[in-house]
Amino acid sequence: MRAGQIYLIIAIVLFGISFLKDKQKTKEALKATFKIFYVVLPVLIFVFVLMGLIEAYISRETIVSILGQKSGILGILYAEIVGSVALFMPPAVFPFGGYLLKNGASYGLIAGFVFTAILMGVTTLPVEIKFLGKRFTIARNIFTFVLAFFIAGLMEVILR
Amino acid sequence: MKKLLKNDAFQFLSLSVVITLFIYALDVSKGMIIAKTVYLTFFEVLDIIIAVSIFIGLFQVWVKPATIVRLLGKGSGLKGFILVCTFPILMGGSLFTVFPLLKTLKDKGARTGAIASFITAWGGKAPLLPLETKFLGWPFALVRLGFIIIFAFIMGILMDWVGEKAA
Repeated sequence: MRAGQIYLIIAIVLFGISFLKDKQKTKEALKATFKIFYVVLPVLIFVFVLMGLIEAYISRETIVSILGQKSGILGILYAEIVGSVALFMPPAVFPFGGYLLKNGASYGLIAGFVFTAILMGVTTLPVEIKFLGKRFTIARNIFTFVLAFFIAGLMEVILR
Repeated sequence: MKKLLKNDAFQFLSLSVVITLFIYALDVSKGMIIAKTVYLTFFEVLDIIIAVSIFIGLFQVWVKPATIVRLLGKGSGLKGFILVCTFPILMGGSLFTVFPLLKTLKDKGARTGAIASFITAWGGKAPLLPLETKFLGWPFALVRLGFIIIFAFIMGILMDWVGEKAA
């Protein structure tokens, strides 16, 4: 059985339990589920198109030379810059990371990308400033970038 | 029509179609590569995406923001600090949905460090584990989850230091 089917079964069982406990809440949950699905799916498809573009135009050797283990520290920095600038919804981060991994990118580099893509974003900056203040936002984003760099490096050493 | 054009879902989908058709017009074989990549990846992740959407939907309904605020309190003390470095890992959503919740925490008197730890731990993204393990494998996912707790911890200490200097 595929992993996805197992998750789906678990999700449906949880959903059933929720329904038995509280019908109204479960109805709300179903609405939320549809909303999430509706928001996430188009972004995912867009990311798949980007993956297809890379597949069609950039050879595996080129990706490995830019993003492979040999790219080292600089590779992690590039990945962090891409992650922090790119408009990436968390669910789209992993398929894209997996695609890079399959094409020879290093674990450290992918970790750098994943951390920054989830935790930082040029598009979220104004919102963060509005809710939490300028000082907080600047400090948090700088610390996130720097800490992600060291942790990504450590992950590369551990997982290699 | 205007409303449709402003719709994010519509924008992403139409952009996807336009790019694919454009490449197809330029070079049929390259266009086919893109179409094939989209098709194969889509069906590879469809059941996972549905499952993940259900997990997050259920979590949102059963664990209300008010519950989270009450549970985490000010995020002070060792117990509170450990909670803000771990509990948000279970949450879904995007940064846009987290900031308003954090504003509430802040208004309730949470420390600067606790708020920063919360965001970082939220980056753990346990609801997306099915996706992460599928594409990056269990070792990567588990090591990353372990590090995210350490990450959140250090972040909290650093941001508390920044917060104090501001005062």
